[in-house]
Amino acid sequence: MIKIENVSKSYIKGKKSIDNLNLEIKDGEIFGFLGPNGAGKTTTIKMITGILNTDEGDIFIDGKSIIKQPLEAKREFGFVPDSPDMFLKLKGIEYLNFLADIYEISNEKRKERIESLTKKFEIYDNLNNEMQSYSHGMRQKIIICGALLNNPRNWILDEPMTGLDPKSSHDLKEMMKEHSRNGNTVFFSTHVLEVAEKLCDRVGIINKGKLVFVGTYEEMKEKFKENKSLEELFLEITENEQ
Amino acid sequence: MNNKVISLTRVIFKNSFQNMETAKSKTENKNKRKIGMIVLYSLIFIYLAVIIGVFSNGLIKELIEINQEQMFLGLILITIAGFVLIQSIFSAINILYYSKDNEYILPLPIKPSEIVAAKTNVLLITEYFIITIIGLIPLAIYGILTSANIFYYISMLIVLIVFPIIPVLLSSLLILIIMSFAKFTKNRNRFQLIATILVFIVVFALSFTTSNTKTTPEELVKMVTEANGLVEILKGTFPTLGMALNGLTNQSVINQILNLSLLVITTLIVYVIYIVIGQKLYLKGAVGNLYSGKRTSKKIDETKMYKKSSLSKTYIGKEFKTLLKNPIFFMQCVLPAILFPILIIGLAFAGIKGEQNGAPIDFANMITDKSSIYIGMGILCAIQFFLMFIYISATAISRDGQTAMFMKYIPVPLMKQIDYKVIPNIIMTTFMSILTIIMVEYLLKLPIMYLVLITIAGIIMGVFQSYISIIVDLKRPKLEWNSEYAVVKQNMNLIWPVILGILNITLIVILTLVCRSFINSYIFIMFITVMYLLLIFIVRNYIKNNVNKFFEKIY
Ligand SMILES: Nc1ncnc2c1ncn2[C@@H]1O[C@H](COP(=O)(O)OP(=O)(O)OP(=O)(O)O)[C@@H](O)[C@H]1O
Ligand SMILES: [Mg+2]
Repeated sequence: MIKIENVSKSYIKGKKSIDNLNLEIKDGEIFGFLGPNGAGKTTTIKMITGILNTDEGDIFIDGKSIIKQPLEAKREFGFVPDSPDMFLKLKGIEYLNFLADIYEISNEKRKERIESLTKKFEIYDNLNNEMQSYSHGMRQKIIICGALLNNPRNWILDEPMTGLDPKSSHDLKEMMKEHSRNGNTVFFSTHVLEVAEKLCDRVGIINKGKLVFVGTYEEMKEKFKENKSLEELFLEITENEQ
Repeated sequence: MNNKVISLTRVIFKNSFQNMETAKSKTENKNKRKIGMIVLYSLIFIYLAVIIGVFSNGLIKELIEINQEQMFLGLILITIAGFVLIQSIFSAINILYYSKDNEYILPLPIKPSEIVAAKTNVLLITEYFIITIIGLIPLAIYGILTSANIFYYISMLIVLIVFPIIPVLLSSLLILIIMSFAKFTKNRNRFQLIATILVFIVVFALSFTTSNTKTTPEELVKMVTEANGLVEILKGTFPTLGMALNGLTNQSVINQILNLSLLVITTLIVYVIYIVIGQKLYLKGAVGNLYSGKRTSKKIDETKMYKKSSLSKTYIGKEFKTLLKNPIFFMQCVLPAILFPILIIGLAFAGIKGEQNGAPIDFANMITDKSSIYIGMGILCAIQFFLMFIYISATAISRDGQTAMFMKYIPVPLMKQIDYKVIPNIIMTTFMSILTIIMVEYLLKLPIMYLVLITIAGIIMGVFQSYISIIVDLKRPKLEWNSEYAVVKQNMNLIWPVILGILNITLIVILTLVCRSFINSYIFIMFITVMYLLLIFIVRNYIKNNVNKFFEKIY
């Protein structure tokens, strides 16, 4: 469960990049975070994960405040950042072992997790190579594997599908579904409206730092009393808020 | 030199220096910072200039007394040649091969000879900055003290501009040759690294040992007794040194002009040869292809694959891996810790030892003497001097670049991570201190108890340097870079370890002067140790108390 309470943030004084954001993602829910470029999705995700401090408000992950109990809160989520170019000089296996040591995963558990995750994403055979030699999609995959390694209850993913081939993208979506079915939380940002429509229990649309809609696709159609596609509604909502 | 070369030079030069400013938030007042920086750098420049000036002044006066003042010119020119040779090896490999601008330049319709010429120009320009300090100031002082005429100053300028070119070309050529072989090797990164180190050692050793050319006693007597006879020893050490020296000092103006012309012509010929060979070798080398990661088809050893270990071990291991696997980081951050003590101390003492017929100088009974406090001071200052070149801490955060935010979302306390990032620096400084002490012991023979104490002091100083350096990086991390070279070379933060090092040396010297009359060597070393322990405690606490504030700007 992720709870965002009255959060505001400005990078430059006087210009709010996030303006009084309130959001609650419940257990067992897949939540899609939508919005045009520069709307504030990455900024929000960085605040949830403790990378960026909030100016106002607080964020709770499974009830633990990222501000007051950062270490406890950080143990509750797995995070995929928007750029997968990390630790390129390490081998894939070294990176995963490093994360496993950070999350104190036992030998048997890490063997099982690493094998199942990397085999699923078909990068098992590349684990002994430096990540610098990986393609963009392979890097994305190993970062996802790393984030899911300790089986965290909350998944926080910033545009996780970019660069993934159709099969991996499909697999990731299936994994998200299964994770939420087990009563866990998935929070991800995306630009692919089709994914959001088919996959998400609820979506949030953010524009210029303000949350302009939260709810299901059905609710969205109801609210705007129009039977349009998500794409048309999305364009309409983000346009109106100029 | 055509227009293309000139504009290419300008672009490469600007591109490599525009990143010098560290990343900062947009709210900060840019102009104020800029002025502050200029003032700071001017102060450093003046400080260095004064030190070199005072040193030159003293040395020249001594030499004038024994009628050997021209020896000074020879020494300065040799220093320039040696310094430029060594310095250019690193900058040549970085500017010619590792620089990211290759990605943009290589697809353009520019001839290889033009690229090589432009890049060599950039190399030269960078060297001229240093030459202003180590060449211009001493030679000008020499002119004043020997009341030279205007012609001396004109020749001085010509020599300072022309003389360093050949050393630059030589180093650069060596690098070009090595890199053209690199193509055929399997593990390219490692090959380049080893080859560069080898060239470095060879050049370093050569530039020192040639100055020790054998002379018979009779010749030596003649040289010493004759006015300015000694300088003859130096003339053979570097091919164009004689021309430069004669250009500066010969009695008749005609002869001076002749020698200067000879210098210019020789340099031109070498330049042409260099460009001809360079353009053939440059594109054959590994240009633009250096960032390929290592791929092994080896199957993973399943038994070793999943090995749980303590967080400290893996974290520090990860830091070391990124340092060692990245040739630029390795060369700039790790290598100096190993090379400098061995080469500098070794070669500096090689001469002394030669005169002592190989027997170590026995300081064992001198050490309790009050004046022996200077030995301790000397060793500590030497260690502190070498410390200034170990940049692991000073770039600990910056080296991560955009990945630095990783530190913030993992469930590990920030202070713990800082300790892990400082430890590689401590390991290298400890290694360096011990190496220095071993070298010194080999040459001086100090009592064992004294050695132990001074080793501990050196290690503690290293720890202090490691923590204080990371503050520099925490205050102004340089996270937006696109070439590793920018982090370790064009990073103005790195001036701080040098400033702190100079301050530390000054502090040690002052303490020695204050304490020398009432404290013996042993107590002095212990006193220094305790002082640095206290300082470490203060500095680490300061970091700990401000760690969240430091990390606010890393996202
Ligand atoms: N480091 C920064 N410094 C200053 N402003 C920033 C910084 N990062 C983001 N911003 C600003 O904050 C706002 C939100 O950016 P953010 O990266 O959160 O957008 P986003 O929704 O993730 O966009 P995209 O879809 O392109 O990823 C933008 O107006 C951007 O200009
Ligand atoms: Mg984004």
